[in-house]
Amino acid sequence: MKITENLQTDVLVIGGGAAGLRAALAAAESGSQVIVTNKGPLTKSGITLTAAGGMQAPFHPADSEEQYFKDTLQCGYGLGDQNLAKVLAADACSRILDLERYGTRFVRDTEGHFSLGQFPGQSQPRNLFVKGGGLGLVSSLAKACQAHANILIIDDFFVSGLITGQSSQENVAVGAIGINLRNGQLTLIQAKAVVMATGGCQWLWEINDCPTDATGEGLVYAYRAGADLIDMEMVLFYPSVIVWPPSVKGAFAHYEFLAADILDGNIYDHVGNSVLPKPLPIRNEAMQLMAKAINDGRGSEHGGLFWYVGNSPNGLKRVRETLNIAQYNYIKSHGIDPATDKIEVAPGAHYLLGGIHINEQCQTTVNGLFATPECAGNFDGANRLAGSGITATQVFGAKAGFAAHQWAVANQYIDANPASIEQETWRIAGKISTTNNYQGTAISELRNRLRTAVQSYAGVNRNGEGLARLTKIAKEIREELSQLQVPEVKVYNQQLIDLLQLESMCEVAMLVAECALMRQESRGHHYRTDFPRQDDQNWLKHTLAVSMGIEPRFATKPINMLSE
Amino acid sequence: MTESNQIISVKAYRFEPANQVKPYFQNFEVKCSEPISIMALLAKIHEIDPSFACRTSTCFKGKCGSCLIRVNGQDVLGCTTLVNPGESIVVEPYSKFKVIRDVVVDFREPLSAAKE
Ligand SMILES: Cc1cc2nc3c(=O)[nH]c(=O)nc-3n(C[C@H](O)[C@H](O)[C@H](O)COP(=O)(O)OP(=O)(O)OC[C@H]3O[C@@H](n4cnc5c(N)ncnc54)[C@H](O)[C@@H]3O)c2cc1C
Ligand code: FES
Repeated sequence: MKITENLQTDVLVIGGGAAGLRAALAAAESGSQVIVTNKGPLTKSGITLTAAGGMQAPFHPADSEEQYFKDTLQCGYGLGDQNLAKVLAADACSRILDLERYGTRFVRDTEGHFSLGQFPGQSQPRNLFVKGGGLGLVSSLAKACQAHANILIIDDFFVSGLITGQSSQENVAVGAIGINLRNGQLTLIQAKAVVMATGGCQWLWEINDCPTDATGEGLVYAYRAGADLIDMEMVLFYPSVIVWPPSVKGAFAHYEFLAADILDGNIYDHVGNSVLPKPLPIRNEAMQLMAKAINDGRGSEHGGLFWYVGNSPNGLKRVRETLNIAQYNYIKSHGIDPATDKIEVAPGAHYLLGGIHINEQCQTTVNGLFATPECAGNFDGANRLAGSGITATQVFGAKAGFAAHQWAVANQYIDANPASIEQETWRIAGKISTTNNYQGTAISELRNRLRTAVQSYAGVNRNGEGLARLTKIAKEIREELSQLQVPEVKVYNQQLIDLLQLESMCEVAMLVAECALMRQESRGHHYRTDFPRQDDQNWLKHTLAVSMGIEPRFATKPINMLSE
Repeated sequence: MTESNQIISVKAYRFEPANQVKPYFQNFEVKCSEPISIMALLAKIHEIDPSFACRTSTCFKGKCGSCLIRVNGQDVLGCTTLVNPGESIVVEPYSKFKVIRDVVVDFREPLSAAKE
């Protein structure tokens, strides 16, 4: 397959969620020409759309940056990078004011102040609410990008890999190759700086509450180009993701609503015994109890337990009022009444805490390559506060865009290493069969096998044996996958995307498994049944996957501590 | 329950942009024991026949429009429109945008009538 289209820009942003769009605005406002690519249509793909829209910032008079910083570290079990956590706390308020400038609207009280909610782990009320949730946020950022003369948006464009070059003996990211799904052009985008903003990889887990886009290939592209990945074992789970019926699978019901002061419900097993004690335990403890109940055979035939608020002592009226939001109306449209029906739920993958290793300027370990939430890490640690995910998209989005702009100003275009282009075009060409003897449903079968294995062995409860098994299975699937080809179809070759995505998913699974295997302790959302204790003596440090050509190398890294 | 109650019959719009072949309909029988959203149904068809293209990304809220589609002659949101086992339906691309392939449309290209 040959490159059929060439584009050039100062800054290339890969991913048009809240983080990528904010990065694009920062770079463009500083004067760079920017291209933003997104694999689905803008405002119709990505994790941000599914977000409830809670967003943290220390606006409350009794709150402060210091308090936000401390809460973050504590919630993260001490594993958060302190330099990054500091930036997050320091810039949160300003970035929210920026959002208002871009047209995002927040819920305000009768006096016109931001309404602030207080969520578990927040020592002061700190959660603002975006009107229209994640979709409201992305829509306003997308409009601001579309209105900016320096920004070109190319959506329905699947980036397949990064291109590197050489500058004074060092590897530099110089652009990316991708497939324009609308017209089938294999496109080379040359850039002075590249921002990776591809979101998380939670769709690898059979149970997750993310859109199908969350397959994590951006992590693999950065890693292949030589970027270190940090704490890949740190995936945050959410207790109550719907597992049945199939058409509403992946939506979630609020765990928090089960608390006595909200709807006072519980999670029940198949004979109607409650699974959780009251007051409600923190999320990760709740999930261990739920996972255990499911493993002990107390679950439904679909592997779920029952989220139920129908017997709330607070009365049906209160329940109906609380549940009168888009998310529950969506569930309702599937024939389930969340106010009175039992909803089948199980812990599901929700957020990637680890990711591409960045410093405070969002620089990765590869020159010219920057990364910004959710694919970047680790500013949270082993758990995160509610509302820090979206705030991080704005704080680090702006940092990444600005740093990429500065890099673009200070550096010329560097020629891509021809081998790097050739490798990528050959890789894609090798997946396409000109004889059409492709293998029907084989890709989806392999994908299901991988997702089942990730769910079983890298879920809420993990152990050494299972993790080793997962590595083996992911390798086998990658091997089988390498034998598969898809037909030569020019426009919207969805099968090719399925295949390329699955290849990356195998690699992500191996990285998660290896890092989880390495961390021989339990901390936050990483729970090892064979090492159930937190071990600060040996494990108050990051895991690191270092790309070394063909085989990965795994290492650890001390946590950045703020100098007192 | 009889077998036919476990099946949804779908007449799905197929369009291959490169070949200039006229659009045609293909019949699929999808095994299903529960009511299912059109969006989940299309994802199942893509699994049965991977050459059938459809969008799969969802917002879980019925708000983003990634799932817009035409069912039995009406434009609807595919993620909140249910179909029951035993039913037969006709699925076509959402009518207001240009078709890219099969039922995937280009949200950047409204058809002229929709532009006003
Ligand atoms: C159900 C749910 C609710 C949440 N609620 C909240 C909340 O209330 N508050 C909060 O703070 N956080 C919340 N979060 C977390 C938060 O929403 C996310 O962390 C954040 O939105 C991620 O933004 P992003 O821009 O990094 O990623 P995304 O929004 O996923 O954007 C990444 C984009 O990159 C594109 N992309 C990926 N791969 C490629 C490729 N190969 N080529 C081209 N493009 C590509 C994707 O199409 C996607 O559009 C929630 C998460 C979930 C799942
Ligand atoms: S998937 Fe978002 S509205 Fe249907």
